[in-house]
Parts: sequence; structure tokens; C-alpha cells
Amino acid sequence: MYLKRIHTAWFGTHFFLVTVVCLAGVFWLIAQGSTILPSAWDEYARKAERVATWCLGKEADASNPIRRCIATYLHAAGIQAGYTFFAPNVPSHHRLTLELFHADGQVEYASPHVRSKAAALRLDSLLDKLPDERYEPVRELVLKMLAFSVWREHSDVKRIRATLETVHLPSITDFEHGKAETIQPVFSFDFSLHSDAEQ
Amino acid sequence: MLKSCDISFKAGLNPLQMGGQRFLGFLFPSESDTWLTVFRIGLGLQVTLYALFLRSDWHYLFASSGKGLVGRELGEAITSFDSPLIPKLGWLITIGRNLNMSEETVLTVVWVGLLSAGCLLLLGLLSRPAAIFAWFIHLCAGESGGLLAYGADNFMTTALFYLMLSPLPDRCSFDHWVAKTKPKNPQALGFWRRVLQVHLCFVYFIGGLAKFLGSGWWDGSNLWLSLIRPPFNLVPPDLLVQFKFVLPLLGVSICLLEVSYPVFIWWKKTRRIWLGCILAMHAAIGIMMGLYLFALVMIVMNLAAFGVPRTSSRAQETSGRTEQ
Repeated sequence: MYLKRIHTAWFGTHFFLVTVVCLAGVFWLIAQGSTILPSAWDEYARKAERVATWCLGKEADASNPIRRCIATYLHAAGIQAGYTFFAPNVPSHHRLTLELFHADGQVEYASPHVRSKAAALRLDSLLDKLPDERYEPVRELVLKMLAFSVWREHSDVKRIRATLETVHLPSITDFEHGKAETIQPVFSFDFSLHSDAEQ
Repeated sequence: MLKSCDISFKAGLNPLQMGGQRFLGFLFPSESDTWLTVFRIGLGLQVTLYALFLRSDWHYLFASSGKGLVGRELGEAITSFDSPLIPKLGWLITIGRNLNMSEETVLTVVWVGLLSAGCLLLLGLLSRPAAIFAWFIHLCAGESGGLLAYGADNFMTTALFYLMLSPLPDRCSFDHWVAKTKPKNPQALGFWRRVLQVHLCFVYFIGGLAKFLGSGWWDGSNLWLSLIRPPFNLVPPDLLVQFKFVLPLLGVSICLLEVSYPVFIWWKKTRRIWLGCILAMHAAIGIMMGLYLFALVMIVMNLAAFGVPRTSSRAQETSGRTEQ
């Protein structure tokens, strides 16, 4: 009976956390205004999301032990993210173009590459996360690292311009009418051996 | 006599206590370990394939800055901001350095260890240590990879987390053959299967609900975009255009299937239909979008949770001589 009580308490706590994480994800989607719900709901969703994140201890100081314990458990159980894949709509596809400026004035185009398909899937996942405002603090650093990974193979390159672009895919009707994808630059950074500057 | 006592005992309970008893009955059903065998073998295959698929890029993905793609430190810094207690590959590399091992050597050892853990799980040899090791290493890799992780990684962590806590080893494992372990408590087996079942209900309900909130799932455009979006564009768009009238129906069906999963998967009459449709959906995601690891882990979790019929009679049989 004692063991059953422990199991039951764990079950309750575990699925309370799963529920809160899932609800926080859904409320965040609504608060972003990306759903079919009326925009009047956005504010309520924002408040509800704040309540959910409070339950997860995220409103507390980063060094708060309760916040750290909850975060560690969520990551250990793999329940730190909700289950809103491809929802409410399929996110845009992004690609990274690197312009390599050689010392002799020649310009070459390249992309970061990996060997396996499984790793390529992860690289694509990384590029799709970057335009999200939540990743703004690490955006430049990630692009710098990706540019540097290509730079190592082209040591004579003086400067690299990294441009992240959104690929707007055609709708089914547009595709039938022969329309192709359109590309829209989101942001670009110039990296040189001595100094880096955003454009 | 025992039965009549039990009934009179239950009759004396108030509705709240009765509800509590019913809830406990739901949480701790008697089960055999057949579902655990499916879960262990399935996750063994998953871990083995995960290691093999990433074999050629393992060092490149998890090496430190200046050697790898993005650098392990960035993912680890993001993870540490959440909590410095979350395991990461950096811990193992620090231990390795103290033993005069280079970063490359440690990463190789970790990869070999993960592959071995997958194989051991497949065989059922040292089942629990292998499950704990696989969970720990996969978690370290997922957290150090940070921004490179995607949905399949979270599901793998969750599945391995449940597996290592489940009452291993099962009767089809080598451990049982070699050490002649006693069958596990059927109620403990039932509890961990319930956990997996309830978890899947959350996954599909939230997934279906969130999809219902997007206009693109009602008119089929999201299905079209999912299938032509690189790197998931394995099916030629010209072929998809021929089935354009089916896409809205399929889009709504997916949302309905997912959102109603927590209801119809419990009902005996509809369980096979819902399970069959969910398995078909994941198989299609794997084949048509190239998300093999994601498809496999979802299929394994569904089969272990609802695919194996309840064998409580066999469980009852063994309950008299169980390891409590």
C-alpha cells in the first residue's frame, strides 16, 4: 500500500506537469494570434500562459532551486515541450545561404552541410527555429558558428555573408498554375576574420 | 467468503472513497509483461537505429566550438540556463579529460556505449542498466545538441524514461533466461503500462486540439505544405496534385483521429480501428516524409500501450509467485 501511494503521488505530479506544459504550449499559440480563434482571446490566452509558466516555476529567478528542480525533471522525462507539432499551421521553411568572398575578389555560394539525412533533418530544424523571437539572443552566434563551419573548408575566404531566407511554398492552386516557391530574406550578417557586423 | 467481505467493505465506503478505490483500480490493473517485451525490443531497435543514423555526423554534431557544426557549448549553455543539473555531454568530456582522454575519444566511447545499450535492450541482456544508460546518454546528446534536437528526441527521452522505471526484466529477455528472475508484480506492470497509455492520450489530444485551431488543417493546405516542405518532400508534388480532393478530408480526419484518441482508444470496440489508423498515420509520416525515427518511436509506444491485448489471466497466474 505504501508503494502504491508513492506511485499514485508520482502519477499525479507527473501528469500535472505534462498538462501544464501542454496547456502553456496551446495558450502560447493562441496568444500569438496564429489560430482561427477571435483576436479578443489573445489577451486571455496570454494571461493563461503566464499562469501555466508560473506553475512551472519559470516566473521565479533563474537560480531558484524549485525552478531548477522542475526544469531538470521536465528535461529528464522529455516533457519540457508540448505536443503542438505542425500546429496550428505548418511553419515556413527556411534556408541559409552563405556568400563567400575570396581574397582574389571571387564570390562563391555555399551552405552548411552534414553527411547523413538524419543530421540534415536536425540542421533544417535548427534553421527553422532561428527566426522565432525566442531565439533572438543566440541568432547571430548560431549563424556565426554555421558560417565558421564552412569557413574551415575555405581558408582563403576573407568575408562571409550569411543570409537566412524564408521559403514561401506555393499553394496547391498556385502549383497547378506553374508558380514556384518565393524567397524572402529575413536577416543577414557579415562575418570577417577581424570584425562582425549585422546588416 | 473473501468476496462477500470485500463487497460489504465496499458498501461501507462513501462516494469519494469509492471513487478513490476505482481510481486505484484503474491505476494498478494486473498485467503480464508482454507489453514490456514489445516496449523493450522496440526501444532497443530505436536506440540502435538512432546511433547508426548519426554515426557519420556524431563527432561533427557534438564536438566543441571550432570543430563541430555549431559547437556543443551553445546547446549546453542554453540547457544550463534552464538548470545546471540537466545532464549533458560536457560532463562526460570533463570526466574523460581527467582520465587523459581526448574529446574525440570520449565522443567515440559514448557513441559505442549508446549503440551497445541499444543492442543489449534488443536482446534483453542487462535490461535495466542498459535502459538507464541509454536514457542518460540520449538525454546528454539531446541536451548538448540543443537547437539541433526535434520532436523525436523528446519522445525517445520520455519512452526511455518510462522503460528504465518499468519492472524490467521481462520473461522474454536473456536476463530472465540467465538469472531465472521471478516474474514481476502484475500490478506494477499494469501501473507502468497505464502511465504510457495516459501519456499517449495527452500527446494526441493536445496535438489534435492545436491542429484544429489552424485553418490549414480544415482545407487540406497544411497537409499539402507538410508533404512538399523540404526536407520532407519525398513524394513528388505532381503526384499529390492528383489526390488534391482527398487532402481536406485527410486533414480533418487526422485532427479528429488525434483529438478523439483519448476516448476511442479505451473503448474495446473502437480500439483496433483507432490504433490501426494511428499506426498507419505514423507509418505514412515515416515513409512519405522521411521521419523514420519519429515514426518508429510513436509506433513502438502505441503498440506497447494499446497493441498488446491485456493478459490479466496469465498475470493472475503468476501473481502468486511474484517479486514484490
